[in-house]
Amino acid sequence: MFDFLSFGKTPEMIKKRKTAFVRVQRFNPDEDEKPYIQEFEVPMTPETTVLDALQYVKTELDGSLTFRKSCRHAICGSCAMNVNGSNDLVCHRNLPESLDKTGVVTIKPLPYLPVIKDLVVDRTSFWEQYKRVKPWLVPPEDAPEKEFRVSPEEVAAINSAETCIMCGACYSSCQVIAMGKDYIGPHALLKSFLRVMDPRDTIPGERLDISGGEDGAYRCHTIFNCIDACPKNLNPTEAIETLRKLAQRRIAFEEERAERQKTLTEAAD
Amino acid sequence: MAHNEITHDVIIVGAGLAGTWAAMVAAREGVSDIGVLSKIHPLRSHSGAAQGGIAASLSNTRPVAGTGPRGPLEEVPPGAEASDSWELHMFDTIKGSDWLGDQDAIEVMVKDATEIVYEYEHMGCVFSRTDDGRINQRRFGGHSAPRACFAADWTGHVLLHTVHEQALRYDVKFYSEWYCMDLIMEEGICRGVVAMDVLTGELYTMRAKAVVFGTGGYGRAFAITSNAFANTGDGVAIAYNAGVPLMDMEFVQFHPTGLYRHGILMSEACRGEGGYLLNSQGDRFMNTYAPEKMELAPRDLVSRSEQTEINEGRGVMGDGQGIYLDLRHLGRDKILERLPQVREIAINFVGVDPIDAPVPIQPTAHYSMGGIPTTLDGQVLADADGALVEGFFAAGECACVSVHGANRLGTNSLLDASVFGRRTGYAVVDFIRNGAQLHPVSGDPAAENRARINDLLSRDGDENVEHIAQELKWTMTNNCGVFRDGERLQLALEEIKDLQKRFRHARTMDKGSRFNTDLLTTIEVDHLLQFSEVMVAGAIARTESRGAHSRTDFVKRDDENWLKHTMAHKPMVYEDEDAGPRLSYKGVDIDWEKYPPQERTY
Repeated sequence: MFDFLSFGKTPEMIKKRKTAFVRVQRFNPDEDEKPYIQEFEVPMTPETTVLDALQYVKTELDGSLTFRKSCRHAICGSCAMNVNGSNDLVCHRNLPESLDKTGVVTIKPLPYLPVIKDLVVDRTSFWEQYKRVKPWLVPPEDAPEKEFRVSPEEVAAINSAETCIMCGACYSSCQVIAMGKDYIGPHALLKSFLRVMDPRDTIPGERLDISGGEDGAYRCHTIFNCIDACPKNLNPTEAIETLRKLAQRRIAFEEERAERQKTLTEAAD
Repeated sequence: MAHNEITHDVIIVGAGLAGTWAAMVAAREGVSDIGVLSKIHPLRSHSGAAQGGIAASLSNTRPVAGTGPRGPLEEVPPGAEASDSWELHMFDTIKGSDWLGDQDAIEVMVKDATEIVYEYEHMGCVFSRTDDGRINQRRFGGHSAPRACFAADWTGHVLLHTVHEQALRYDVKFYSEWYCMDLIMEEGICRGVVAMDVLTGELYTMRAKAVVFGTGGYGRAFAITSNAFANTGDGVAIAYNAGVPLMDMEFVQFHPTGLYRHGILMSEACRGEGGYLLNSQGDRFMNTYAPEKMELAPRDLVSRSEQTEINEGRGVMGDGQGIYLDLRHLGRDKILERLPQVREIAINFVGVDPIDAPVPIQPTAHYSMGGIPTTLDGQVLADADGALVEGFFAAGECACVSVHGANRLGTNSLLDASVFGRRTGYAVVDFIRNGAQLHPVSGDPAAENRARINDLLSRDGDENVEHIAQELKWTMTNNCGVFRDGERLQLALEEIKDLQKRFRHARTMDKGSRFNTDLLTTIEVDHLLQFSEVMVAGAIARTESRGAHSRTDFVKRDDENWLKHTMAHKPMVYEDEDAGPRLSYKGVDIDWEKYPPQERTY
């Protein structure tokens, strides 16, 4: 169809733009046979985010537009969506920078997941895999009176994994997930990496059985989509690679862990 | 069992730190029939947005001798004298509260603090460490020792994930994206809740022997706020409507460093690590207001200082409503190591890298000191005389124990939510073990709430719910903000009354049942309008300045008349429709020998 809205517009005009054309995938399974794209014109300033734009549509134009949101500063993980073909948190995504030269941004739900309504997806498989890796630490039974001693270097090795906000951007960019939901997935493998690498954890071997097993690290095709998709700049692929290597030397790793835990209550060097 | 009826021994509403701690502890202790409701996925809870740290007098670090109050810190060597104590933490908290905090509750909190931080550590929390492997500690405002245990500047995130994981370990059942609409109260006994499964729109009568609220704060009543969209004070409003009093609602903390215009939190850790506040003349103006503590004075004082600079024309940015937070002298490495999230936020939302340039900030509504009054074990109080609401517990920001009094110290909120969430968990276990009953429910509470929803959905007026909310929020920010006075508070009250009337003509655009967030917003705005009136009524009545409640027409603290908690009851149905909340007052727990009220200077 001829695009009347963008006809004759130059990049300079885009920069001076006061409005954006927000194309949103709509789908309410109770009413619609299949998803469709709806376009809204939204006012903007240089600081407007994609979430602001969605919020504007919901408030002013169509209250039935449905999406998840909460913290609006990229820590709660609610608002991961697909913007112009790649996954991102819409709350920290600048709107003007997301427009093409015709002033359009396209927002769809995270791929490869069932759509509940509009931009809200069903993350059931995502959370099941998260639970499957036993995300909790299993510490030694004889806890000290004070803290276990963990060195700054040991913290640095797992620090970034701890900052994962479980938004699902990686999971729904993963080609292996696209093919089947029995793969544990990058988010849960990153969590497993966090626990396996933690000197306080007592069951790294059991963890490697799961995360280094057939539904785990070996299923990763190292396509690196998860790295590109992560809005927190984390590296699940590297963590998966580490799990794969550790699984190969599982017995030795368990022995190293047992050895390390003998000094877990002593001052680090 | 009736249609759409669910029963549990314990129902917990809210899955932030307080609710999850209560659930995890109860499950660990063997009370297994627990249901935790959260209107958003538990890991999206706003506890996870807390940045700077959790307070505990571990004595792991101390100032290097001779370097002054803002110099570098070092590890406390083994065998050296402790640099901190619970007594010091207690005094700092009492002084921070401007003596409105209950001292018995504060004592419990600061004594439990070290134990709970170690428990977090034993459960897997990835704290930042000292070189010898202990939990690292930094300075924070109003604390006289480096007491903030931290994980870079995402401490709340790490704590929330840790305790949620442990709750899963003990098989706690979570109802994710279930919205609690109502409390079932009969004859003063709490018998359960009515909740909506957001996915389907179905309502359920959920009966329980004990109900715990950990529903969070009410900072979304303000236009400039650090709070998440979710922080609409639902629990507070639901309790109020069910006849439970609300305590000290007029006390709202304005955090000094919200990102300019966005309100998003720039952690106090920025100043804890040594950051400066500058006015338009490049002056570190805190020198005028708190020469000793400077930028590390408590938040109420710093926010007032900023607002004074702004009001007197020394603000920055186009409209003069900003202040600069300058971190440049901390250096790139320290910013990347200690404040990575804060840096990301500044770059993303205002396009400023704190390594290279000062960040524009302004005071932002941040923390709700008031809430549902409770005992030290989370039991909800029915009145100022200490009667209890059987079967109803509350903890965390929605509750008011009160440990924060008129002003909370930074890092004491993660502590409050954790300590009293845990204590409530144990209290609920005792309550169940001592033979708590599943009380019968008369009528059909779910059907009554369905009628309320149908009424909201059928309204076809021309008022827009969000427009009403926006007007309310600006009224609150402008008239019930950092500085208040009788005239402006009265104006706010009239506007709220007017908005409540207009709300009756507000239209919900989405009429469907599936994942209807438009309907949820409508209910949330209803809640905002209800408790905002309570906040303003309490503020009008309190003719003094204390902590975060600062009145320009009553500038002094007035211990003779106002050393007491406000208790606000919803007016009885037979009272005049326009009658505001019924206010009564409750004494403050004070150890007159040890911690009598003093003048509060920093």
